[in-house]
Amino acid sequence: MSDPAITQHLAVRPAGPLSRRSGFLLAALAVIALPLIFTDTYWRTNLTICAINVLLALGLDFIIGYAGQLNLGHSAFYGLGAYVSTLLIVKLGVPFWAAFAAGVAFAGVAGMFLSLFAVRLRGHYLAIASLGFAVIVYQILLNWIGLTQGPLGIYGIAPPPRLIVAGTVIADFHNLAAFFYLVSGVTFIVYLLLDQLVRSPVGETLTAIREDEVSAASLGINGAAWKVFAFGIGAAVAGAAGCFYASFVGTLVPEAFFVTEAFNILAMVIVGGMGTLIGPVFGAILLTLLPEVLRGIGDLRLIVYGAALTLVVLFMPGGLAQAARVVREKLKLGGPKS
Amino acid sequence: MTTTIVLQQAINGIVLGSLYVLVALGLTLIYGVLVQINFAHADFVTLGAFAAYFFMNLSGAGYIPSIGVAFVVGGALGWLINATIFTPLRRKNNELLPLIATIGVSVMMQNLMLAWFGPIPYAFETPYSSQVFRFAGIFVSWQNVIIIAVSSVTIALLYAFMKFTFLGKALRAVSQDRETAGLMGINPNQLIMLTFVIASALAGMAGAMLAPVLVLTPFAGTSVIVKAFAIVIIGGFGNVEGTILAGLIVGLVESYTTQYLDPGLIDIVVFALLLVMLAIKPTGLISERREENV
Repeated sequence: MSDPAITQHLAVRPAGPLSRRSGFLLAALAVIALPLIFTDTYWRTNLTICAINVLLALGLDFIIGYAGQLNLGHSAFYGLGAYVSTLLIVKLGVPFWAAFAAGVAFAGVAGMFLSLFAVRLRGHYLAIASLGFAVIVYQILLNWIGLTQGPLGIYGIAPPPRLIVAGTVIADFHNLAAFFYLVSGVTFIVYLLLDQLVRSPVGETLTAIREDEVSAASLGINGAAWKVFAFGIGAAVAGAAGCFYASFVGTLVPEAFFVTEAFNILAMVIVGGMGTLIGPVFGAILLTLLPEVLRGIGDLRLIVYGAALTLVVLFMPGGLAQAARVVREKLKLGGPKS
Repeated sequence: MTTTIVLQQAINGIVLGSLYVLVALGLTLIYGVLVQINFAHADFVTLGAFAAYFFMNLSGAGYIPSIGVAFVVGGALGWLINATIFTPLRRKNNELLPLIATIGVSVMMQNLMLAWFGPIPYAFETPYSSQVFRFAGIFVSWQNVIIIAVSSVTIALLYAFMKFTFLGKALRAVSQDRETAGLMGINPNQLIMLTFVIASALAGMAGAMLAPVLVLTPFAGTSVIVKAFAIVIIGGFGNVEGTILAGLIVGLVESYTTQYLDPGLIDIVVFALLLVMLAIKPTGLISERREENV
């Protein structure tokens, strides 16, 4: 029993660089293949919404799962990114990608502003302060009619300009498949960057602060600064999702950024498994597509979100990621002995 | 003329504030014994309102008995959520999991109510809303008198219960130090259950009295609960006196914002107050020893 080979075999090994690379390759192939398989407007629209939601879930997961700060106001950063970029384009004629950068930056700075309050707060206090922030942002979008047109909304938002290289049109984003490739491409890059970040010493620092801030401080780690950093990153990612959402849907109403949207994103992170990056990706896909599949049962479909959130917390707090790990270990133990 | 408006809005603010106090006290009581937040508290308010509405319109027994019905419905829901969510999760000893689970319950309850009651607002008319008398130049409806009377009696009873009865003392003991209270022969589990039932019954009752003021839809409770959260933090989490004070302040702030600024700004003003409070004095108006959470 003390054979080191067996213990090594039983231990959960982190995936090696080779299998990780093939995983990314497989994911990239899936992303490329999806719009070719689903050619109708309905499913291509859903695919793009999925990609936007994955982006939102990744940003929130970084704040909650890695930096350990319960942010109940993610809808605020999503909305700020959407409105700031759209208003710059519509009112001032700023080019799309400059407005995109401004929306991302604005959401990121707003996240850092909120976390300046948040660094003094933990747990429930932060949860409620961030919820309050989301309520304030929603009410401003709703009531500042001169700027946002309030509940009437902003219509006819154009998609990003065509991508032209050396005189030939590479991509026209009026095409749903092209838009999907754009959003999922950006999501893919964000995933890779976050993956690098959480595996770097930065990720370990954040984990140390999450687990025990006092001990981390005794090692010379400035917990407050790192929390502000993490909040800013997560909020900026949500801002990017907001820019894409506005130009994809073409219409902006404050209702899309009500606090219930923050709960929906939270559900994606929790159901997928917070503190892992791959979990929230699947959580977002599952919870975006499930209500579509269940559309036949009408209003009841939103109950799925609530039920999924509650049941996962009660019975599998690690979400889909934990379920996958349990299954994989069972298979390994029951598999043929080598 | 202006003093009349100031006084009129003071009455409106106190009426609203005392209802917010009822909702926020429930959150504070639960936080006191359990250091947990029940997010579905909002939906107990809504369901209390619907229970009162249907009881009053179907049985014809009048408005005041329907407040009692809402009280019972709220209490039953509180028992249920404690048994199904908080008791199983207590062993995990995680401060955020129950909050997230109750967000799930809240989403479920709101959409179930949406499926049953529909999205169109219900007009909750009590016979007392239109009976108005004039007092020192300001108008007061009997509905307002009922609200102030019922909520102040309830708050006074609760306060007396906490201060003078054995159960109330045991409850405070548990909220101060659960383990030591257990050593003194107090069963914390029963007291936690009792707290949940009382807290949720207050929410249901507040719903029955808020319903005529609110737009009664399945999402009515959400607008109330975000203010109740603000009140609980402004007053100091787990602090009963602070919560009462903060509730009345928020009620007054709301009515004067409506009068002198814009009704659309209410939430912004209330939450700006909250953020300022968090920045200056995160322990709340009346500080207690629970500083490790800040």
